Amino acid sequence: MSDRAAHSAGVWAVALAIAWRSLHTYLRRPDLFIPSLVFPLIFFASFAGGLSALGSVPGFHFPAGYTAFQFVFVVIQSATFAGLFTGFTLAFDFESGFARRLMLAAGDRRGIVLGYALVGLSRALITLALVSTVALVAGMRITGDGVDLFGLYLLATLLVLVGYAWAAGVAFRFRSIQAGPLMQTPVFLVLFLAPVYVPLYLLKGWIHAVASVNPATAFLNAGRGLISGAHNHTALGFIAAGALVLLFAIWTLRGLRAAERAP
Amino acid sequence: MSGGEGIEVRGLVREFKGGVRAVDGIDLSVAPGEIYGFLGPNGAGKSTTVLVLTTLLPPTAGTARVAGFDVVQHGPEVRKAIGASLQESALDPFLTGREHMRLQCALHGLPKFERDARGSELLARVGLTEAGDRKVNTYSGGMKRRLDLALALVHGPRLLFLDEPTTGLDPQSRVALWDEVRRLADDGVTIFLTTQYLEEADVLAHRVGIIDRGKLVAEGTPAELKAGIGRPSVEAVPQDPGDRERLIRVLHRFGEDAAAASGAVAVRLPTGVGELADIVRALDAEHVRVADLRLHAPTLDDVFLAKTGRSLEGAAQGEQGEDGEDGGNGGEHGESGAVGGGGGGEQEPARASMQQV
Repeated sequence: MSDRAAHSAGVWAVALAIAWRSLHTYLRRPDLFIPSLVFPLIFFASFAGGLSALGSVPGFHFPAGYTAFQFVFVVIQSATFAGLFTGFTLAFDFESGFARRLMLAAGDRRGIVLGYALVGLSRALITLALVSTVALVAGMRITGDGVDLFGLYLLATLLVLVGYAWAAGVAFRFRSIQAGPLMQTPVFLVLFLAPVYVPLYLLKGWIHAVASVNPATAFLNAGRGLISGAHNHTALGFIAAGALVLLFAIWTLRGLRAAERAP
Repeated sequence: MSGGEGIEVRGLVREFKGGVRAVDGIDLSVAPGEIYGFLGPNGAGKSTTVLVLTTLLPPTAGTARVAGFDVVQHGPEVRKAIGASLQESALDPFLTGREHMRLQCALHGLPKFERDARGSELLARVGLTEAGDRKVNTYSGGMKRRLDLALALVHGPRLLFLDEPTTGLDPQSRVALWDEVRRLADDGVTIFLTTQYLEEADVLAHRVGIIDRGKLVAEGTPAELKAGIGRPSVEAVPQDPGDRERLIRVLHRFGEDAAAASGAVAVRLPTGVGELADIVRALDAEHVRVADLRLHAPTLDDVFLAKTGRSLEGAAQGEQGEDGEDGGNGGEHGESGAVGGGGGGEQEPARASMQQV
């Protein structure tokens, strides 16, 4: 029986197998799949539609219009949450015992980290494709060029990884879905303490002070600059996202080591 | 014996928070090709030992080499060499049996062209061909265990860990799984089997290690372990209490007195169970009618009792959850068989002797 034992999957083979399984399950579960599509659309409709009068506030100037202004927030939120909810999936797999199968079968366990990252990216791809289509159908104007748009989705990709790596690090350490609020709450706070509805310069008081140092502000500024073609701290947004990816990647890999030591 | 396909454990300790030692200095060796039964009550440390040996949990102290590799230093190599079916069937309820096989093959790096054929082969081997395209959430407990076993075999492991593989299974599924374990052993796979079922260890294992409260309290072949604690005894209850003296006289021809239940007479047999037929013939010749005639061969439970002062069945009830083991005790019985009024129900292990009678 030992002829097959010579085989051993590398990091990528393990990652692709895990991604295949998780996406397969995700698409078969309407309770997971539908909310992940519907909620970004609800946010987009309510922010870009219901709050569109904010675009007429004195001093508000955004070349691509308020729909594009809010679209960037929804893209960033959807991307971050696609990653975040992949962390939930990982936590659930630990709680159900399925992750043990992965820990046991994976020759190189870093493939598990990478596999779930691919899941997060795939989920984000589905959600962002839908949100973008709906936004374009709704008449959203894009005044940036193709490279700018590519930059926006590249930024979104980094934010998927930020959300995922944060949540995965928590999931590896707690190995229970009960850690969900710990994954979710900081991300909610960071996203909503940013200039969501109006630009930073229109915010006043403590929210302005907080938003000024909030990394989500850098992401929003960069994203809005890209979609409008009027670049606004683009490099800062990418550097902040890249730094967080790196930081949380270390957090996740250390989490994996913690999971390997855990009972 | 540090066999390339065996297991070598020295001074293994696994301590949890609060100083609880689930595994407390275990030494054991499993030879290549052997079925090693690891027997103990819930919470004894069986599953923790398996988790350490399968690299799912690092030891606190001691060393363990599996398939020739140190479990701490060479985890990936160990995982490549072993298969494991753990206590909780780690299955995705939304995948079919066949999809599980595909996933497991991919995780183990089997080439794409081999995956479907290997999956089908193993599903057939465990009798799940027809159910292979159904989602696992429609499977019974027995089917899940069989799928779990098939998954553990996809990469042709040289060494297989089965952690309480039959807990919760109906008798038919249990026997089917035993047959599969024997077939695997015949194929040369080394098997480390944990169980809380005395019969399972007795019937399947070449050698048995008995663990209690994290310590290995006895080890040997089932026959050696049982022989080590004494000889079989025969116990009889006269149908007519007035025949008691005659019954004693007949039984004393075959052995010396042994402790007996109220109203019964017992003698310890000098060699083994071969005398049972002679006893029946002697009683018949003396016209002594018995209400109950019972052979009591030493059991692994007796071994456990002798080594720990507690019965395995009793020990199982008071110590659940220490290391995450669960599941009920399987209701095992001593290896006694009875004729006459005191039938033993499911007391299967003494079947050979009783057939002689």
